[in-house]
Amino acid sequence: MIIETHALTKKYGNKTACDQVGLSVEAGQVYGFLGRNGAGKSTCIKMLTGLVFPTSGSGTVLGKPLGDVSAREKMGYLPELFRYQDWMTGLDLLNFHAQLFKLKNKKDQISRVLKLVGLVGQENYKVGSYSKGMQQRIGLACALLPNPQLIFLDEPTSALDPIGRKDVRDIIVALKDEGTTVFLNSHLLSEVEAVCDSVTFIHKGKVVKSARMDELLMTKISLTIRANGLTEELFAKLNKQHESLQKLADGSLTVTLNDYEEIPALASSLIANGVTLYELTPHRETLETVFMQIVGEEGQSSQQY
Amino acid sequence: MLNYFPNTSVTHGMGNQFKPFAIQMVTKMGFQFSAMLIALLTIMLGSGAIASELESGLIQGILSRPIQRYQYILGKLGGLVILACTYATLLFSLILVIGAFFGLSTITSLTFSQIITGWLLYLLLPVAVLCLTLFGSVSLKAVSNGILMIFIYILGNVGGMVEMIGQYVSNNSVIGTGIFISLISPFQTIYSTMERVMVPNSELAASAMSAASLSGSGKPASLWMFVYIAIYMLGFVTLAIRKFSNKDII
Repeated sequence: MIIETHALTKKYGNKTACDQVGLSVEAGQVYGFLGRNGAGKSTCIKMLTGLVFPTSGSGTVLGKPLGDVSAREKMGYLPELFRYQDWMTGLDLLNFHAQLFKLKNKKDQISRVLKLVGLVGQENYKVGSYSKGMQQRIGLACALLPNPQLIFLDEPTSALDPIGRKDVRDIIVALKDEGTTVFLNSHLLSEVEAVCDSVTFIHKGKVVKSARMDELLMTKISLTIRANGLTEELFAKLNKQHESLQKLADGSLTVTLNDYEEIPALASSLIANGVTLYELTPHRETLETVFMQIVGEEGQSSQQY
Repeated sequence: MLNYFPNTSVTHGMGNQFKPFAIQMVTKMGFQFSAMLIALLTIMLGSGAIASELESGLIQGILSRPIQRYQYILGKLGGLVILACTYATLLFSLILVIGAFFGLSTITSLTFSQIITGWLLYLLLPVAVLCLTLFGSVSLKAVSNGILMIFIYILGNVGGMVEMIGQYVSNNSVIGTGIFISLISPFQTIYSTMERVMVPNSELAASAMSAASLSGSGKPASLWMFVYIAIYMLGFVTLAIRKFSNKDII
């Protein structure tokens, strides 16, 4: 495991930002770290990068204990609220970070990362004159300088336009192909769904679910049914077979099935009981629906029978 | 002031007697104002050195790189010391050049060893201020730190005055209070020692200055005071490193 933590806890006075967080991240994958605002994601990333000291618990990053400086030689980090010396040019900034990383082949690495983030030709302008998107790109370039084995990206596309987001997605995929482990914290769930191999959901400082993306999304199918003639008695009977059956406000039904093969059986059962079917629409679960189920249940209003 | 005393010589015939005193006053004022300027500039430089980077989040991009936190503190201190000392050297040289240009006897009579000792003491002032300010920068917000450091610096001047008044009225408890304040803020001690090296009082000036000067103690600082200042500086840098090494960067 490239990252492993055991009961990692961070308290600020009475407030617990991270509570007994246990993570296991395999090398070479893109790992999504999801949760609502204030769930403790950034605190957790800062503990892994050595910026914040855990109150209790332990962990290793790149085989070294948390906070070990030598682990950072092969670790990149793009902070969420990043800010760089705006009086420096992009090139100065990259040179400065290359010195912090003690890189030997500075020139080659700088031209490599400039090409990677699409800032070739812009490097001689001051960082202060860069657009927000360009600043995010130069931040990403700084994080990529040491050719990292592990890179933490905290909201890497928050300031980027759709093309910029796609570019970052492509960079993440390219990094994965090169064997780099990417630890991605993003609120853009479609983006996480597109690139991540595994995800962990954190809610109120606690890990509530960790799973491989394919296991999370492909195991269940959500079915929307629009029908007429469904009695309360039949609904109760079906509800015993399918506990997830819900009646929505518009009168339609939703049910979560384990397999596509269950759809014809359910349709036959409804027709046999005198129900007129108008529509059967299967939906594969998206990360957004899973996210809402896992961490967004509070405040959601749905009528359950 | 130099123009004033020749006029008095015309009217009262006492100008030649007071001219050395006037020259000393002008020289001392030059050093005093420049030292105060240096101290305030150093406080401005140092108060936000770390605090502003903590507040803006700029530090996150630096400390997540493979550097130790003590290296960050010492790097900041080193850079600021070079900057403050360069500026102090420039001001110190300017005072000497201007003094020599106008033929002030206080400057033209200086020996090489006096200049070097005075210059080193002049440099010690911003360095000592920086050590304290850097600790404040780790602990406080930039503005609060700046205000506190200016207060501590001014407190040092008050300490020198209190000690001098204590000596004047021969009251040991007042002298003790002045010394205690000088221990909290030893910057005035550094300045007054530098001043003694660069502008040794003439007999007449000595009696007048000791009664009128606001620039510090009537007695020269002992060697032990400088040992204390060295410990003071080292202590605050160590405290800054210790505090920063355990600080959460949020």
